[in-house]
Amino acid sequence: MPKVYQDLRSFLEVLEEEGQLVRVTNEVDPDTEIGAAGRAASRIPNGPAVMFEHINGYPKGQKVVTNVHGSWANHALMMGMPKNTSTKEQFFELNRRWDLFPVKPNIVSREDAPCKENTLEEGEINLFELLPLYRINEQDAGCFISKASIITADPSDPDNFDKTNVGTYRIQVKGKDRIGMQCLAMHDIAKQLWEAEKKNEPFPVAITLGNAPLVTFMASTPISYTQNEYEFVGALNGGVPADIVKSDLYDHLYVPAGAEVVLEGYIVPRVRTVEGPFGEFPGSYSGSRLQCEAKITHVTYRTNPIFENLYLGMPWSEIDYLMALNTSVPIYKQLKVDFPEIVAVNAMYTHGMTEIISMKPRYGGQATGAAFRLLSTPHGMPYCHNVIVVDDVVDPFDLDQVMWALSTRVRPDKDVKVVPNCAGMPLNPTEEIPGITAKLIIDATTPVDPEPMKRSVELLKDPVKTAEYTKIITDLMAAK
Amino acid sequence: MQCPRCGHEEISTIATSPVEGAWEMYQCDVCYYSWRSTENPHVDDVFKLDDEKIANLQVIPPVPPLEA
Repeated sequence: MPKVYQDLRSFLEVLEEEGQLVRVTNEVDPDTEIGAAGRAASRIPNGPAVMFEHINGYPKGQKVVTNVHGSWANHALMMGMPKNTSTKEQFFELNRRWDLFPVKPNIVSREDAPCKENTLEEGEINLFELLPLYRINEQDAGCFISKASIITADPSDPDNFDKTNVGTYRIQVKGKDRIGMQCLAMHDIAKQLWEAEKKNEPFPVAITLGNAPLVTFMASTPISYTQNEYEFVGALNGGVPADIVKSDLYDHLYVPAGAEVVLEGYIVPRVRTVEGPFGEFPGSYSGSRLQCEAKITHVTYRTNPIFENLYLGMPWSEIDYLMALNTSVPIYKQLKVDFPEIVAVNAMYTHGMTEIISMKPRYGGQATGAAFRLLSTPHGMPYCHNVIVVDDVVDPFDLDQVMWALSTRVRPDKDVKVVPNCAGMPLNPTEEIPGITAKLIIDATTPVDPEPMKRSVELLKDPVKTAEYTKIITDLMAAK
Repeated sequence: MQCPRCGHEEISTIATSPVEGAWEMYQCDVCYYSWRSTENPHVDDVFKLDDEKIANLQVIPPVPPLEA
């Protein structure tokens, strides 16, 4: 049974014990130092979480933490694994736990939920006092919350728990109790908002900050519309249910019981105001857009709440660690149903804009078919625009091997396909019309019948004693 | 006071520091650019806005037609 975290605080304790959390105790300027630290920490190999304990303008002890997910070491500890666990081992362990879904969450009483320790009612709410907000990147339009888990339901079927959505969408704070929110059309929340807005109804939201690390992980995982994120958190906990509690305002919404802060309110129907720019995960700014606004009318929070936020910028940054394997695993699972020949999927690069499938094709053209399947998954369709398919003997997480496959298995006149005018992702800076793109498929597999291959290719095998000598050499090095 | 992004003069003070006197947070009532008094805001030309640009910004997500 892996170690299970029901809140952020217990995870931060373990990170500190493992040398994966550092504290900055001197006074810092919010707008020039916290984002910079998040940038720096995520560039350091196995970089730590960084806790700020004294922010200019806030009482000493009001904390911000960043880069909590920002290294493979932290990612492994999140899963209760040793911090030196390889990326590939983490991928296969995630796959194993994935199959435990669904694990029903544990509903706790309000009295037993740490997130309900303190309450603010309408008129008392001031987000700038509650949270040490800051500008993450220089050209951001203001203070953004980049790591919230936002809970909503389907207005046409509000009591259907399977359709409850826990998602991460960027938030621009626009006032003491007023926020802008990005709900892109391909996201589940936009489908739900559409239902509310066509009836001109306020759309209930609960925005939770500072969650258990696997709650945040699942909130940014692309799963099917009728799969519940909390039931996946329980699966990834190794079968231990996630603790949740009923929202104070809405009987059909449940929030993580251990959250540091819960903001409840509603998206104002049919209103769009200027939001952005914001430094985004492709490593460039999104422009300004007219986006949704929400009003916060009720807040609960833990005593001395910790504000958790992430830096995002030119990859790799914290968001790339957060959205690496949680993008790869669900796409692998979705493809594996129809293509048992698939060994692994690497969707770690820029939230899966480029993806690599490793498979053993059974017949000519099947590799291209697998790529089309990937491009029709809920996440792959908008996000992915470059697909590379490699043989089963190629580890898709080892880019040296992938480059070998591109170099020795691709004949450009027949193995490279471009499909124009497909669904895109508006934050992809290559899209002339945000939301419309072309798809590139590179088949880097060895041709199989009936595809002709007139020259035989004999794959080199490692000498028989290679594994034995790997150990001998490693031991000799260790003995020095 | 002028908005560093769109030049409008309708500026609100949306927050003051919990520790008195450290900073104030300002926001443009037109384009919602916000900044602290401790900052020296610089908006790159490519991100500057005016009324025409604001009126033509992409709407995300689209607003559905009202149901009868």
